[in-house]
Amino acid sequence: MKSSKPRRETLDTLYRRRYETALKPLAKALTDHIVDCFKEQPRIDRITARAKGVGSFLEKAKTRVENRSKYTEPLDQIQDQLGARVITFFRSDVERLDAIVKKYFRAIEFRDRVPDSEWEFGYFGRHYVLVVPSEIIDASIDDALIPAFFELQIKTLFQHAWSEADHDLGYKPGLSPLTPSEKRRLAYTSAQAWGADHMFDELFCERNAARLATEK
Amino acid sequence: VTGGWEGSLSVQHIHAFLVHPGRGIKPKPVVGTSVARSDGTFALLDGVYAKSDRECDVDITFRPTSDGKQQNDCRDLIVSYLNGPTLAKARPIAERLALHTDLRSGLGLLFLIVGKEVKEHKIVFSRFPTDSAIYVDESASALTVEFLERVFMKNKTSYKAVLYRHASLKAGFWSGRAIDKQLNNPSGEPSNYWISDFLLSEYTVTPAAGTRRLALALREAAKKSELAVKQELISAANLASGLAGQRISIDSFATQFNLSKSAKDAIAAELKSARVGQEVFRFDLSEYRTLVAYKSVELNNGALLTAQFSDFDKVFQQEVADDSKDEVRFSTKGKIVNEKLKTAP
Repeated sequence: MKSSKPRRETLDTLYRRRYETALKPLAKALTDHIVDCFKEQPRIDRITARAKGVGSFLEKAKTRVENRSKYTEPLDQIQDQLGARVITFFRSDVERLDAIVKKYFRAIEFRDRVPDSEWEFGYFGRHYVLVVPSEIIDASIDDALIPAFFELQIKTLFQHAWSEADHDLGYKPGLSPLTPSEKRRLAYTSAQAWGADHMFDELFCERNAARLATEK
Repeated sequence: VTGGWEGSLSVQHIHAFLVHPGRGIKPKPVVGTSVARSDGTFALLDGVYAKSDRECDVDITFRPTSDGKQQNDCRDLIVSYLNGPTLAKARPIAERLALHTDLRSGLGLLFLIVGKEVKEHKIVFSRFPTDSAIYVDESASALTVEFLERVFMKNKTSYKAVLYRHASLKAGFWSGRAIDKQLNNPSGEPSNYWISDFLLSEYTVTPAAGTRRLALALREAAKKSELAVKQELISAANLASGLAGQRISIDSFATQFNLSKSAKDAIAAELKSARVGQEVFRFDLSEYRTLVAYKSVELNNGALLTAQFSDFDKVFQQEVADDSKDEVRFSTKGKIVNEKLKTAP
């Protein structure tokens, strides 16, 4: 006998619908919008936005902290269902672009993502949680499927390169955890990227100051 | 209560507090009470609750901490109250309002109205300002006149309200909608104490973002419209320079400058949804001037006149040359400083 009770939709079904009908078109519109807001800015390598994949979302929804589910309401609590990234050249550029982000977007969080201690490795960049602007929302998208916020990261080329390689090597599903030796080698690459970023920025600031002095 | 009442049936709790000014002076204790469903005031407030979705028209968002953490003291109080709406949990909200109310804002009556609509929690704060009034009772043989010192009135310009609704008490309640009729009416009262100080919030749309939307919509609408609408939009665009610092929406801009239906439709066609037109922001003149920088007029004889938007009418003097042919004559005087060849548009 069939139950007359409607079956509760699984998180997988709910998110898949959100992903297909709302997040994918929003990611496209968000890319265009951010590109437009930043179009006058020099030294931007690229701007991208993406909808968080179904597998990645479901994996994140399962996260446990101290033996308890971190996300009891993942559809509302996970704030990077829409994620955007602005890649710029130098560390000084991040500060300049920070002002543009705050000028055009309403933030409920902003911070530099750094490791918890100076002995840990990792090289992440600046991170924001921003209100999804209504000018990217097409009237045809169901309001209930639109997340309130999106995540924006501003990274230098080295931060971007390091975090992409680190993610590929360290966080692929099905891979065994990193060995201590592998962790040490990743820490080495992180320090190298950190050093290169600082050197490039020093050079940029020196050259820029010299250029301005010549122009006076 | 008669006329205009829109009962919601979803209101579950109402708490009321008399809030004395406590900013810069020793605050008086905040006294509060629960409003019972049987009380006549309950029906009035049920109407306030029901109308709030329509009346609260300014989108606001809680601020993060100054160092960027996703935490806000006012939001914390609201979420804590919604997790168990008791008089004791409501009191810190009223105390917070007292701390941010100065003598110019005066005594107020704050109602916290909590309801549940399907899956969503909804809360409305409604602050009635105080006033004095004269009460008259008429009987067959006499008229009794009484001076009332503490009358709380919703129709005063200093009435304030805010509405929040969300299904999740954990992740939601970051954004809401407010009423603050004083935002464009300097009346001596600090106009930002309700949204900025008490609610620790900002307009959801930043001044630059809102102004950019308006400027781009005007620019694109003018580009695509027929000449008469184009001229109407450009006139409005010129007048917009006088809006510096004012609270507007794209819709209110069109109403304020009395745009025709065709001009309004042309602007609306440039917006992704009606909501974009309704969102309120503070007009940012410097952002506007970067986006609406130049005005060009093209004549049928091949002439193309361009000048900075704000100076165009000073740079070029226009007069009627032949009214029957709609011909005009432009004149200007200056020293040649540059010449350019341009590609075809």
